[in-house]
Amino acid sequence: MAPLVSAVSRTADPFVRTGKRPTLAVWKFASCDGCQLTLLDCEDELLAVAGQVDVAYFLEASSATVEGPYDVSLVEGSITTAHDAKRIREIREMSGKLVTIGACATAGGIQALRNFAGPDGGPDVSAYAAAVYAHPEILDTLPTSTPISEHVFVDFELRGCPIDKHQLLEVVSATLAGRKPQIPNYSLCLECKRSGAVCVMVAHGQPCLGPATQAGCGAICPNFSRGCYGCFGPHEGPNMPALGDRFAELGVDADGWLRALRTYNAYAGPFRKEADHVERTRS
Amino acid sequence: MPRTLLIDPVTRIEGHAKITVRLDDAGAVQDTRFHVTEFRGFEAFCRGRSVYEMPALTARTCGICPVSHVLTGAKAGDAVLGVEPPPAARALRRMMNLGQILQSHSLSFFHLSAPDLLLGFDSAPGARNVFGLIDAEPEIARRGIRMRRFGQEVIAALGGRKIHPAWAVPGGVLGNIDPEAVERLRAEHETIVHDAKWAWARYGELVDAHPAEVAAFGDFPSLFFGIVSPDGAWEHHDGLLRFIDAEGNRVGEDFPAERYAEFIGEVADADTYLKSPYHLGAQGGAPVGPQAPGTYRVGPLARVNLAERMGTPLADAALADFRGEFGRVPLGSFHYHGARLIEILACAEQLGELLNDPELGSGPLRAEAGINRLRGVGVSEAPRGTLFHDYRVDEDGRITGVRMIIATGHNNLAMNRTIGQIAEAFVKGPDVAEGALNRIEAGIRAYDPCLSCSTHAVGQMPLVLRVEAADGTLLRELAR
Repeated sequence: MAPLVSAVSRTADPFVRTGKRPTLAVWKFASCDGCQLTLLDCEDELLAVAGQVDVAYFLEASSATVEGPYDVSLVEGSITTAHDAKRIREIREMSGKLVTIGACATAGGIQALRNFAGPDGGPDVSAYAAAVYAHPEILDTLPTSTPISEHVFVDFELRGCPIDKHQLLEVVSATLAGRKPQIPNYSLCLECKRSGAVCVMVAHGQPCLGPATQAGCGAICPNFSRGCYGCFGPHEGPNMPALGDRFAELGVDADGWLRALRTYNAYAGPFRKEADHVERTRS
Repeated sequence: MPRTLLIDPVTRIEGHAKITVRLDDAGAVQDTRFHVTEFRGFEAFCRGRSVYEMPALTARTCGICPVSHVLTGAKAGDAVLGVEPPPAARALRRMMNLGQILQSHSLSFFHLSAPDLLLGFDSAPGARNVFGLIDAEPEIARRGIRMRRFGQEVIAALGGRKIHPAWAVPGGVLGNIDPEAVERLRAEHETIVHDAKWAWARYGELVDAHPAEVAAFGDFPSLFFGIVSPDGAWEHHDGLLRFIDAEGNRVGEDFPAERYAEFIGEVADADTYLKSPYHLGAQGGAPVGPQAPGTYRVGPLARVNLAERMGTPLADAALADFRGEFGRVPLGSFHYHGARLIEILACAEQLGELLNDPELGSGPLRAEAGINRLRGVGVSEAPRGTLFHDYRVDEDGRITGVRMIIATGHNNLAMNRTIGQIAEAFVKGPDVAEGALNRIEAGIRAYDPCLSCSTHAVGQMPLVLRVEAADGTLLRELAR
């Protein structure tokens, strides 16, 4: 494999070329680890990466002061505790570029469903805790699960639950080289058409979130003759009400539409706003 | 144990492992506790969702073993529908689980544990990770990475991607295996079997190199629990559940998944939110407490100990060696590593049988049915142990209650005991060396708990170790 990056290091400008190997740190917040494992899934590239970049993993680093700085920080997971809210600010301080990887870091993840669990549609974590734990009173958690960008400036947000390996490699190499990552921001429909899949909504009348969802997964579900369920979150400027109308024509009731919107990217703007609208107009 | 240990806001960090070691007045280890804090709330937010959504939703519990949740969720869904998936679907699901165990075990052994085992427990922490291993032992690292990739390729060939493939559904599976992928996997298969055999052959060296760790990493009698095939062979997905004792005798009858609550109780200690499952005692007997008699272990060592044979030639030969060397029922948790290597071999061989089966994927792939039962229990062997999904649904198939018992839960009592043993051997008074902390971490890692996957992939496990005096006063805190 060609060198992943040219040698860069952080001086006054984070990416002034000095001949030193760049450092890459990976950080974990509330998540399932699937996205950082995607880094390990770059098996062929792993050995090459090991020689090109100093990988400094400080996953769930302790309260001890974290050393730095790092040229690039990859951040997985959402913010769910006060401690994490503080930790992400420290990480931002010592990172040249900060990239979020996956739905948790970019949109709060599936655990952000707690943000709508209350009777008024707002956050309610206490009922959640009681359902899960024998002694919920000892949990120390924030009422919400929020994306990294609500806490610090983020240089690039990589979507997906989980992220795609090729997109990850593109973002890491682009970021280290100081160029804009070439990640499509159009809808899944384009990718789906290109893959040769038959449109499940047009041909089979199946509800599909594809028209509102960002491309990147390879249109896996439509290729299994199943509607997209939105792992990659909303693309730029989706027409949510129109898709909601189409779901209704296909027999999906308001509850079903809400459930479709509220999965891994429930807290992402367009999905969240549409769900809020559905709830408001229903009651 | 004072509650303050758990509610101290500084040390209660999501996803962290926290260990408390209590010393007596003479400075000897009196008690140890292991705590994990993680809150994402799956049991809560799954309520109200459709049973058809459950495999995909619960997959997000864990990015290392999403397949286990997908398959177990689909099996619980089968039970709600009251159907048995068609034979082709069952074979493909089994195939995905074998790929899953192969890739996850490879990750656990080669990426996570091998740095300790091959580079040494006292080696420099900075290099004690997979990248250090690539430098020092490139051959083993290369083969480990290759075996993991093969397992991942099996998953991707079936589900379209390696992580969170929402492919198994109540009643069966969504699609067939990609024929080009079958050709590709077939071509590489022999190499993988060879790698697996090569790795197993090195296990004896590792045991010889670490006598103190073999003795201290949770060597105690306990029950073992897991799935076995009806003929007593090693099994990972279909079959009945079995308990055996430390001598290998069956404890009570084998039972199907839906009867698990008759055999497994859960105790919730006053000072921790983690529930500890324990064996309720032989059929009809009085429940035994959460202490020694009811403690059981799940995962690779349990499955290998339960099995009368592995069912494939190379794995059977390995099992015979394993038992010849360490007894019919090896009791030390260090041997989880050996059992993992045997299972890697078994998975590689069984995948070969499936890849070469001309009937693979022929026939219907999904049984269609409505909601026929209001409760469904699914069970499968995740790489790290037995996984239960227990769903209650309404007549529309909406979830009204979810209970998941994961491997890390089953092993909780045993892991506590393991940490106690390691602390007794390596902690003397309040001055704790880095090597002791690392051994405690490695002792936990032998079980490959979800904690290790859910909190880190490469490098150090996040640990907070508190050493306390008999009255609860903090003597030392080590964090990383």
